[in-house]
Amino acid sequence: MNPLAAIVYRESKIRATNTTFLFFDLFYPLLYLLVFGIGVNAALGAPSLNAGLDYNSFFLAGVLGMASLGIATTSSWAFFLDRDNGIFFEMLTYPMRRSEYLLGKVLFNICIGIVQAAITIAAGCLLLKIHLHWSALPILTAGVVGGTAGWFFFYATFALKIRRNDLFNSVVNVSYFVLLFASSMFYPLAPLPRWFRITALANPITWQVDLLRYGSIGLGAPRQILLEAIGFAIFALASFAYAVRSLREQG
Amino acid sequence: MSNFALEVDNLTKVYERQGQSPVRAVDGISFSVPRGEIFGLLGPNGAGKTTLLKVLATLLRPTSGAARIEGFDVVTRPLEVRRQISMVLQETAAELFLSVRDNLLTFARFHGLPAAEARRRAGIVMEKFQIATHADQKVQDLSGGSRRRVQVSKVFMVETPVVFLDEFSTGMDPILKRAVMGYLREESAKGRTIVLTTQILNEAEELCDDILIMNRGRQVARGDLNALKLLSAGVYEIVLTFDRLPETIAEDMARLGPLRSHIDDNTIEIALKVEEAQVLDIVSALSKKGRVLRVEVSGASLEDIFVELTKEA
Repeated sequence: MNPLAAIVYRESKIRATNTTFLFFDLFYPLLYLLVFGIGVNAALGAPSLNAGLDYNSFFLAGVLGMASLGIATTSSWAFFLDRDNGIFFEMLTYPMRRSEYLLGKVLFNICIGIVQAAITIAAGCLLLKIHLHWSALPILTAGVVGGTAGWFFFYATFALKIRRNDLFNSVVNVSYFVLLFASSMFYPLAPLPRWFRITALANPITWQVDLLRYGSIGLGAPRQILLEAIGFAIFALASFAYAVRSLREQG
Repeated sequence: MSNFALEVDNLTKVYERQGQSPVRAVDGISFSVPRGEIFGLLGPNGAGKTTLLKVLATLLRPTSGAARIEGFDVVTRPLEVRRQISMVLQETAAELFLSVRDNLLTFARFHGLPAAEARRRAGIVMEKFQIATHADQKVQDLSGGSRRRVQVSKVFMVETPVVFLDEFSTGMDPILKRAVMGYLREESAKGRTIVLTTQILNEAEELCDDILIMNRGRQVARGDLNALKLLSAGVYEIVLTFDRLPETIAEDMARLGPLRSHIDDNTIEIALKVEEAQVLDIVSALSKKGRVLRVEVSGASLEDIFVELTKEA
């Protein structure tokens, strides 16, 4: 069996037989949309958005971006679990390349990401009456796939470099705060102070969320979206290269 | 093609540590292992056995020297090396969230076994290791001993030419350990090469065709049991059972400067490196301390050789 398929088989066996994993993988981000999205929409409205857009429509891309981060941190944290179970080093003696090990995990994450996005989008359209730009669905899919892969490689590097679970959790918590709030995930950047806007524009989660937003509701300037997409692709490839290097240094 | 499954040539692994002097965990080790042999790596804690095994299993890169598994270099052809090996690590390694059966099936899939064949073998292996009754139970719900069974049983799912076993019997009950030793002999007879590390010396004595004793990263002795016993010529083990343990016997034993000594109830065991002519004098002197029920004098055991060689090094 192909090593990538073997990894997907392993991950699916582990995740599919654990309801906690299933809940967090598939439904947790949807709760954000339903609770936080509806709350903000009702309480604050959407004064800074384009006419005709409500906060739920705007926030859908943010939720999909957050889901990519969630899957990435969960599956990166699984390296610690595998280390504790002793299986991590045994797996490194299996007949596969280090890059295949990571790509197999990403392949499974992408499958989860797509199912999760489909559930979130379906709920958004049916319950919150979000009007999706169906013609841009390939862009939305690319945003989900690329984002899920990129963020996994990014966090996998930390999980592999940092040998301590508590330290990794601290890194995740701090980075979450910066990545999520200094970005276009929760609010549009236009009304923000200049320093804040510049910080957010340098944040890869902004690049991914802007792409997802363009692919879901058509919001954004195509030229800027293209540049951001290229930026995110470079970020993902660099993270992949660094994660493979980190994996080679294990032992 | 070489007749050797393993060829290790002047292998060195140095761990660099920040602010501290580097540690030479493996220091210029050379050996080769013919196909179908059971090869034992022995040494005290920190001797470098696990590091050496990790280099051979491509988990660590050597600092210098070379190692080849079935002709494939561990540095330049790591993927080919991984296709030749299966490994049991010192620590218990199992997929806790998977059932016993899925542990075996997953392992088999990674090693390229077709699904039907993997299921067939899983049935046989689970029976062999007496884990069939737990087949659908998650490993996290099993005892430590059963987890170890799952881990060790995996190497019998595949037919990789080389098997590495790092302290494989840790946590195993004596009956299973004996059975696994039998399975290992069968695998070796089929042509698989087995490399094991252990600190349980009678395990090595019973299983290994060839033994390498390491200490502080270096080879201190190499050969089959007979050759090693020659290295340790002059070592004798004396066992005396008294009807009642003499009061000063511990001091008397200590005065002889033994390699190893042990008192169990009314029985004393003492290993000494002495001239052959002195042995009977020592037995006679010790016998005068009390009423002796049993006397046994034998040549060096592997344990004596191990203690002597690693102490000298």
